[in-house]
Amino acid sequence: MTCNEFEETGWNAERDASLTEAQRAAAASHATSCSRCAALRDSWEATRLELRSLAEVTATLDAPARVEMRLRRQFRTQYHAPKVRRRTAVVAAWGLAAAAVLVGAMSWVKWHSNHENNVALKANEPASNQGSPGQNAADDSQILVADNELNDFTLLPGVLPAETDGSAILSVRLQRGALGALGLPVNEDRASEWIQVDLLVGNDGLPQAVRLPE
Amino acid sequence: MSIADQERDDVLLRRAGKGDEEAFTLLYRRHQAALYRFALRMSGNAWTAEEIVQDVFMTLMRDPKKFDPERGTLGAFLYGITRNRVLKHLERSPREISLDERKEDGASLEATLQDFVTPATVAEKRELIELVWAAVLGLPAEFRETVVLCELEELSYEEAAAMIGCPIGTIRSRLYRGRALLMARLEILRNATKRASLPRQAGVGK
Repeated sequence: MTCNEFEETGWNAERDASLTEAQRAAAASHATSCSRCAALRDSWEATRLELRSLAEVTATLDAPARVEMRLRRQFRTQYHAPKVRRRTAVVAAWGLAAAAVLVGAMSWVKWHSNHENNVALKANEPASNQGSPGQNAADDSQILVADNELNDFTLLPGVLPAETDGSAILSVRLQRGALGALGLPVNEDRASEWIQVDLLVGNDGLPQAVRLPE
Repeated sequence: MSIADQERDDVLLRRAGKGDEEAFTLLYRRHQAALYRFALRMSGNAWTAEEIVQDVFMTLMRDPKKFDPERGTLGAFLYGITRNRVLKHLERSPREISLDERKEDGASLEATLQDFVTPATVAEKRELIELVWAAVLGLPAEFRETVVLCELEELSYEEAAAMIGCPIGTIRSRLYRGRALLMARLEILRNATKRASLPRQAGVGK
């Protein structure tokens, strides 16, 4: 082994597991015959002892406890806070859904009872016609009022006169120009004017007639 | 050894990923010391080592799926992140560190040593250790890393090569050059210390 080879591999032959036994023996042999390389190796051995001392005093070191504390706090923030938020959102969503169902159910019950009343009223009509003249006059006046109320409505273009049972009167505020969408003539100069109109909405949910209250 | 201690890293990590704080803490306790020591030995600064370790585990906490058990152990994965952080830190402050410089620093080598020096440690040994550490810290990063892994962490060449991700020949040559630089630097530091102590001794003699 030459001095160059010794410097490259031989100085640390004991620790270099990739060297063969023959290479290790050659390094040891060179160190005994070359005083310069032997001195180099001894010098390195002394340095290594000092390095060992440094390794020993730092061997038992741990990261300070505050690092663990910080990490655990961060962990809790990351994993638990979103869960709480998610739970709140779920509860809120269920609450809203329940409220919507309740409102829907109440509306349906109200609509259903009105509808039944109307049907009952209709069924009683022939019987009441055969009743006393005084009672007939009162009923007629009610029908007359209802007729008058409905008479103010103007059928929308293209709508055929039909029974108004189950129809609803919707009072809405819209721009005059929007009447054009219902097929009514609109004065362009006053198209942007806000007006109050009553719409007679049929069973199918479509407007059938319109009334412009004075 | 408790059952928790025997639980595999990847199992613990999976549990931690589902929000199990205990599993995460176990993982931290299992790996923090080695990472902290490596970061400290490389940076020579307790604050830096602390920050790096915290950062490494934050990364693991935020994205545990980055670790693939099929590609290696969790220890190696965490070491890889630590190594990147340390090298980035050294790139940002690529100055050589002299003993005097270190002593002016808030978290100096001496202050760091004071944290773990036992009463039995004699002053002379401490001075020696300070010199050696200053010499190690003065090495360029790649040589320093090899010296730290092979001489301080006592890894074999194969293990060090696997950690760094380079051939064994590279480890050998880096260690060879690192050793030469380390010895030269130690010589310079020893002479500087001797020169510094001479006037003091002369002053005491007067």
